[in-house]
Amino acid sequence: MAYSELIKNFEKIRSYMREFYVYGFKSRDEFNSASARVYDNEYRRVKGWLEGYIDSYYDETGKKVFISIDSRTLSHNPLYIAFRTKSFTDWDIVLHFFLLDILSDGPATIQECQERIARDYLAPFDAEFPDEGTIRNKLKEYEKMGIVRSVKKGRNLIYSLSESARLLPAWRDAIDFFSETAPLGVIGSYFPQKRGSAFEFKHQYFLGALDSEVLLSLCQCMEEQRGTELTIFSRKKKQELKHPVFPLRFYFSAQTGRQYVLGYHYAFRKPMFFRLDGIRRIKVLNADPQAEEYERIWPDFDRHLWGVSCGENTVRHIEMQVHAGPDEWFIVERLRREKRHGSVEQVDGETWKFSADVFDPAEMLPWLRTFIGRIVKLECSDENVVKRFHDDLERMRLMYGGER
Amino acid sequence: MLFSEYYGGYFACVAEILSEAVAGTLTKEKISEIVGKMGLGESMLTIPANLRNGNWPLITEDYTTPVRHHPPHPVTLLQRRWLKTLLLDPRINLFGLTDAGLEDVAPLFDPAKIIWYDRYCNGDSFEDEGYIQRFRLLLDAVKTHRKVQVVFDSHRGKHNSWTVIPYHLEYSSTDDKFRLLCHSEKWRNRTLNLSRITYCRLLGTFDPDDYPVPELTNETVMLEITNERNALERAMLQFSYLAKRTERIDQKTFRMTLHYRQEDETELLIKIISFGPLVKVVEPDSFASLIRERIEHQFQCDFS
Repeated sequence: MAYSELIKNFEKIRSYMREFYVYGFKSRDEFNSASARVYDNEYRRVKGWLEGYIDSYYDETGKKVFISIDSRTLSHNPLYIAFRTKSFTDWDIVLHFFLLDILSDGPATIQECQERIARDYLAPFDAEFPDEGTIRNKLKEYEKMGIVRSVKKGRNLIYSLSESARLLPAWRDAIDFFSETAPLGVIGSYFPQKRGSAFEFKHQYFLGALDSEVLLSLCQCMEEQRGTELTIFSRKKKQELKHPVFPLRFYFSAQTGRQYVLGYHYAFRKPMFFRLDGIRRIKVLNADPQAEEYERIWPDFDRHLWGVSCGENTVRHIEMQVHAGPDEWFIVERLRREKRHGSVEQVDGETWKFSADVFDPAEMLPWLRTFIGRIVKLECSDENVVKRFHDDLERMRLMYGGER
Repeated sequence: MLFSEYYGGYFACVAEILSEAVAGTLTKEKISEIVGKMGLGESMLTIPANLRNGNWPLITEDYTTPVRHHPPHPVTLLQRRWLKTLLLDPRINLFGLTDAGLEDVAPLFDPAKIIWYDRYCNGDSFEDEGYIQRFRLLLDAVKTHRKVQVVFDSHRGKHNSWTVIPYHLEYSSTDDKFRLLCHSEKWRNRTLNLSRITYCRLLGTFDPDDYPVPELTNETVMLEITNERNALERAMLQFSYLAKRTERIDQKTFRMTLHYRQEDETELLIKIISFGPLVKVVEPDSFASLIRERIEHQFQCDFS
């Protein structure tokens, strides 16, 4: 099939864009492509869409393609462009403009649309006429999307354009802002974009946008209280696994851009986390009458989470004391704003204690390390955590030229 | 349906071309101009050809069209439901919106079911009336190029009153805070936390050409990543908001070059140190020294 910059299915390009953006050091041979041509086509598409953000270099193992974006220089997520590339048939685009033009004059039946297309629209061209079924399908599709509506009159359906939502001008600024900060922001990018934005964004993670289809399907399950079967690609096992779950909450990281769904696992009978970027497919299951029961599990489960790890589902206690001098108010502020479910208290004039009861204290190690230089005490009911901290600290000392 | 040609670049391009044709101003050059401006990377090879060869019988040889109206593009149900969802977000208060026009649709999801688990808990007060008024005034100032008098308390408690030239409102998802990016009277770049601004008022307009948005200058740091405990992927994701390049040194070791702003150095240092011995600063030595210093301090602590 001839190359096209448009695509039918989002899944393949989602995977390639993620590889180029997150890794960016893999050669063509390291991609799990069906063929070199598949890789070349996907690369060509992404290169065309993301000119200025995609680059490459060569080393002894070949060409390496990578996406690099300084998010503070942009007011709009450049990856949204991938969602504007859906392929279509010739009739899709022609009927789109003809039908919306006909309905702009007023309501019409399918037969009237068909007659007008043949008489008023296709007359100047040497073109085939669309059959009634093709027109009916397009109008049905647009009715489902909320673009047109229908009323039954006798045996005929009469179609008209949906009333335009009368949106206040202030929506423009709100859409500008929430397109970049709200979940499913790509939908905001479908509104006409104005040039220039009043907003800039710091700590902006663009990658999650690629998982918008997965997120939308899960939102639908959540709103309708349905179970779902997730098909996950396990990077560890390098195979697809199926997990039947009842989705309870989403857990998003503002500091890494990672997005998870927490679901009650029907087979393992406990809440479990799944990363959205690992979900390949979603099968919507029936509405679950036990939804309220699963919901009751959540608050107790949540209050012992630091991030998204349940460890062995055993609650462990952890305490850290840090030194903060009289002019180091920012340390106390950091502890207070970053404590999550933990607590902070003053021990003496210059010492502050953070404590928490969590499922997996090892998950806290990265955060604990950010206080290196001022930690005066670290205790945990899981001794391995304290040992890991000390071992890593010793490795860091040696790594930066310190003496044993 | 999220992924649909209805929202696609091709439909938008052809709608613009038809608008010109309806207005009677379409030419071959105009088609090229529109496709060049609005199309995707290779649209120039496909859109004009499909219009010309009759695959898409929308434009005649003399650049007229049987289409009679400027193509409408009604807002879809999905878009309306997304807007309705925004009305449940506390930050929507900043924009003074109601559900007018959205009464008959349901939100896509309940924002309370999304837990931003590592977002700082001292975000701005989006429900505070005074804050909302100041936000709207500053947004107006940015959009209409007006100078502003701002009264604010510095983090050390000093009371200040400045006249500033605003150019952007910056939002951080981690901090859940807005900051005003502006030039001060002395022509210096300033970043003011909105939560510290206690009063502001609009002054006269300024010509944005006289006060261009400052050029960004980036610093560079080179890191060596040891791929244990999934450190590689964690680092790749954590630093994906910065311009970066990564190279493989050997099966277990990777080198990453990051570009960052000087003002964000401490924040970046903290992120790097959080990886422990799995991410090492290779260059510049001045940056590595900052980490070395913290490690030395740690060993000086009476630590148990």
